[in-house]
Amino acid sequence: MELDELKILFKEQPVPMRVVKSPNDIAALLGSKTKSVTGKIRRSLKIEIIACIVFVVLCAGFGIFGAYTWLRIYFGIFALICLLFLPVLFILHKKTTDFGSTDLPVKRNLQRLVNLMQEFIKRYFQITMALIPVSVFMAFLLGYYSAAPADTNLQNTPTPNFGSIAFKITAVIAYLVFFGWGMYYFTKWYLKKLYGNYTEQLQALIKELEE
Amino acid sequence: MPEANEFIELLNRHQNIIHKVCSLYMNDVTEREDLFQEITLQAWNAYGSFRGDAKFSTWLYRVALNTAISFYRKEKRKPDFKPVNGLPEYAEETTETEEQMQAMYKAIASLSKIDKALVMLYLEDYSYDEIGNMLGITANNVAVKMNRIKTKLKDESKKHYQFG
Repeated sequence: MELDELKILFKEQPVPMRVVKSPNDIAALLGSKTKSVTGKIRRSLKIEIIACIVFVVLCAGFGIFGAYTWLRIYFGIFALICLLFLPVLFILHKKTTDFGSTDLPVKRNLQRLVNLMQEFIKRYFQITMALIPVSVFMAFLLGYYSAAPADTNLQNTPTPNFGSIAFKITAVIAYLVFFGWGMYYFTKWYLKKLYGNYTEQLQALIKELEE
Repeated sequence: MPEANEFIELLNRHQNIIHKVCSLYMNDVTEREDLFQEITLQAWNAYGSFRGDAKFSTWLYRVALNTAISFYRKEKRKPDFKPVNGLPEYAEETTETEEQMQAMYKAIASLSKIDKALVMLYLEDYSYDEIGNMLGITANNVAVKMNRIKTKLKDESKKHYQFG
């Protein structure tokens, strides 16, 4: 059988109308929760915005009322970075909410969805990456300046020789490189697992439409 | 809420379209239910942009196909065949034509998401221009794709046809 023959059969014997859902069932569905990816992103952004606001307030509190200078600086910088990302999260949330309308042509709709996904992945990656160096460097500085020898005799310890300092610096650099490298690839892998594969599927559909 | 009542009434009259799309794109009942719910929600969200200059059925097809094509689900297993387009399953006594139709449905089920949309709109007797408008491609592109799909379906349905 060919497709045109099937089409003729369809015309001759139209499929009877299936009424499975009553108007009440449909009305109930209107209030249900979306399972779309944009809905998932919207929920995720909402949680991140709330968490970010709480975090900014807490960090600002520690930054202002903290007992130690370096702790105040540490939390102050965190509060500032989170504060900078808040508008980005709000803009992304608005874009995702505006996306709602899906009566565009399929190709255009897929392109919009891919753009939205890519922007979300990019911003998420930037936020994560921005917090890592701040967190690591500030933790080092905090550790360095806050460390006060418990034994006063230790304060008279002779200056360490060059060799041990070089070793320490190498160890710190190696730690930073491996930690940064690990976090970079872990974040990339995690985002790809969460949204990247789906975005690739959508891109493949756009390509198929263009062929 | 008069707008909601109007929408529910329209959707109730055209729910066959959603059932067809769900049967075409999803294999098991739960997934179909999920997709039905999602299409209904998306249609409701987009209803404000429905101006009535197009037929509601055409508009609903567009929303339903957009939702089905971009609907995310985890690949669980190899899809098993279920009849598409809301047609009944033929059990026991089947005529040769019915067998051929079944073979054709199996062939359609093996198509990609985009090709399934093309076949569905073609069977619904939309013109190449209308199909192109819905998918966002040119009528020429639709014609080329339809020729390719017809050849593919002819070959594929032969594999599933037992009488042949």
